[in-house]
Amino acid sequence: MTEKKNEPEQKKKSTDKAKKGSPAGKSKGKDNGTRNLVIGMILLVVLAGAGSALAKNRTNTHAALPSDVSVSEGYGISFNPKAPVKLDVYEDYQCPNCRNFEAVNGNYINSLVRAKKMHVVFHPITILGPESALTAAASACASDQDKFLEYHMALYQNQPTAENSGYWTNEKLALIGHSIGITSAKFDTCINTGQYTTWATNVETDAAAKNINSTPTILLNGKPIPPQDQLNLAGLKNLFKAAGVK
Amino acid sequence: MKRISHAAVAPWITLFARLLLGGVLLVAGYLKTTNSAQAAASVRVYRLLPTGLANIFGYSLPWIEIGIALMLILGIWVRYSALAGGGLMLIFIIAIGQAWARKLAINCGCFGNGGLSADGKVHPGIYLAEMLRDLGLVLVAGYLYRFPRGKFGIDRIPEEISEG
Repeated sequence: MTEKKNEPEQKKKSTDKAKKGSPAGKSKGKDNGTRNLVIGMILLVVLAGAGSALAKNRTNTHAALPSDVSVSEGYGISFNPKAPVKLDVYEDYQCPNCRNFEAVNGNYINSLVRAKKMHVVFHPITILGPESALTAAASACASDQDKFLEYHMALYQNQPTAENSGYWTNEKLALIGHSIGITSAKFDTCINTGQYTTWATNVETDAAAKNINSTPTILLNGKPIPPQDQLNLAGLKNLFKAAGVK
Repeated sequence: MKRISHAAVAPWITLFARLLLGGVLLVAGYLKTTNSAQAAASVRVYRLLPTGLANIFGYSLPWIEIGIALMLILGIWVRYSALAGGGLMLIFIIAIGQAWARKLAINCGCFGNGGLSADGKVHPGIYLAEMLRDLGLVLVAGYLYRFPRGKFGIDRIPEEISEG
């Protein structure tokens, strides 16, 4: 290992290059050609990758929209827009803390929605990956069947322990719908054709633009409810009351 | 027994350094490409850039990392690639340091899984470890800047980019 006197010494001048070791024998021009070609390919990979990531995360104004969507409210599924107190729920169906939030407060919030006492906007964002997008799109299909709240709850009740584990498939998502009483064939078609996947991207893009960085993010009249208050039903009721929910 | 001179082993050290810095960047970039939404959130939580810019940076960063990684691993423009890779590491050190100083409870997001920290707490030990790792990689990049000529690189004539 010590007899590498032909190896380039860092300080030597360019006259060394003919003697350089592996891979020997190539002319300067040819080497640069190869190198430039490789540089070009790398540049192409970088530009194509970054370009497609940027394009994929843009709002698509031609996206098919589910029935209860409010474009001006970040493409969220919006209930009772005329009620005075507004709750924004930024959630990911794969997120365990969102499941906990739903388990503690879901029935209460759903009852407020059904009694038209609160303006609630659900933003199922897709920050945790591909199966978040699948579930979000499926919940929009349920919204078209007027079963959003039920489906929303059922998704959390069936949440697997691992994210993106292959658990959420179109078949599974359709079955969950059937289990809560959705019978329309349109629902299955909606899931199987990915009718609302572009819409789900729009929800995520809007949340990204609004600097929503964790799930669940719960905004009461635009102000975040701190995580330590999110799993306390009595406290949440007090907060809502103080905000004017009757 | 002959003494092994640095000149004799430098190309091998350079190769190792290229694979180390390039390998880390390649893995970090690749893991982030699978979830660009989260990659963007990982940048936003550092609260260094306005949201719009943070998102653009977050969507592009994984691919920039992959690009620099490929240049390093293949040994192309080693000096400049090392400068870019080391520069990224410096940016990361500054980002983590300021997050620590401002008590932002976040995950590094260096290898995906970024965002706010799950328990909402600041973990100084993790911040320190991440800064030290990145500092180590800055030193690796520094070596490559000083000694860009390595084994098995496509750069056959590094003198073009470095007079030594």
